[in-house]
Amino acid sequence: MLLADEAGKFRASEKLNVSVTTKNLPQLYRFCFLMTGDATKAQEAFQNTVREAALRSARDEPPPDRLWFFRDARWRCLAVTEEGLQAEPGMMEEADISPVAPMQIAQLDPDQLGVWISAASEPQRSALALYYLDEFSLGEMLSLLEMKAPEFAILIGSGRRQFQSWLDATMPYDGEPFDAQET
Amino acid sequence: MPRKPETLLDCAPITEKPGIDRAMRVAIQQARRGKKAIGFSNQQAFDAAVAKLVHAIPVDAQVAEWFVNENLIPVVRRRWKKILLNPAVLAIALALAVIGGVFAYRIHEHLRDFPGAEKARHLLAVATSTRSVLLDPLKTDAGTLSDLFFLKHRLEHYDVPAEFADFKVLGTRVFDDEEVLRVAQIWAVEKRMQFFLFPAEKNPKDGSVTDFSDWRFVELEGWTGAVTQRNGVCFMAAIRGRENDLQPYLEKKKQ
Repeated sequence: MLLADEAGKFRASEKLNVSVTTKNLPQLYRFCFLMTGDATKAQEAFQNTVREAALRSARDEPPPDRLWFFRDARWRCLAVTEEGLQAEPGMMEEADISPVAPMQIAQLDPDQLGVWISAASEPQRSALALYYLDEFSLGEMLSLLEMKAPEFAILIGSGRRQFQSWLDATMPYDGEPFDAQET
Repeated sequence: MPRKPETLLDCAPITEKPGIDRAMRVAIQQARRGKKAIGFSNQQAFDAAVAKLVHAIPVDAQVAEWFVNENLIPVVRRRWKKILLNPAVLAIALALAVIGGVFAYRIHEHLRDFPGAEKARHLLAVATSTRSVLLDPLKTDAGTLSDLFFLKHRLEHYDVPAEFADFKVLGTRVFDDEEVLRVAQIWAVEKRMQFFLFPAEKNPKDGSVTDFSDWRFVELEGWTGAVTQRNGVCFMAAIRGRENDLQPYLEKKKQ
């Protein structure tokens, strides 16, 4: 009810203008979902971020850019998930990327991917979530994560191989290999 | 800090985006052509498949409700006040104002110009630098100098107008000026005024001279000259001050 009221106020605010739009907000929710692996927690973090943006706008201190939303949501997601079990780095096996990986991935549903990414340790979890949103430039991601490119590359590269290993274990694929040239 | 191509390839963009830096583009091109082409191609297919799956994450209806609120970040509308207070804008505005002022002054100055105005200004500059000791001492009335100029220097019609004919003179001289030619200079007692008599400006097309009996004014560096032209000779009364300081002398004779 409270959320609905604030959403109403938010809609009525004429001080706010376009920039973070319907295109970005679903991406923000998806980010929260990948970070938490749980729709309820994702929704909580998402709504708190948007509410905070509305309050700031009402105070004439609107969020400066879309990165602010993802930065804010990231910490909220970390906060809502910190009560559960935390993954430790370097505990997962890795495998080379398979030509049939796209077919293996096609068998997954988004919830499984969300659970897998949210189970990664920080900052790999945030790195993978931001990277696979396919929303940001490398510079933006480095800015959001406050890290250098080599560290980010290592997190993504190892995450990719770990995911492949997990795919091989859970989604074996016996069909024709994927022809990358067709993409 | 230079980044290794392998580093860049691990975080290569999943889809082409504007603003990808050169090092990244080079690394991608090399990977597509080199020995690692198959591996890189598998990686890109892998990433694209994961990104597609991410994009398929369903958005709950209750969450979708929030998407109505599109307006979360204000478009930065630069307010006029902010723009005007920008130092760069202020500097440009000031520069334009100065240029405009100078331009307007020049136009105003030239609107009042008359044939011989440039010569008159040049002689005002002479007036500013002249010391009384440079002139030959002579105590008489200005109106009597016409004969002296004619007899001694063969300067015809170098007559002091009636408005200034009664002024007492301290000294006089005749000199050649590159721009103005033969100039008669008179130093008057009254307010240390200086009079100049010089040839009128000829029309460059037909060589004719158009006299004017009214008074026209020129200004230079705090000095003002009242100029009239009769019989092809210009007379200028120069004073340190403004046009208003000369007006009483010019109006006195009219009455």
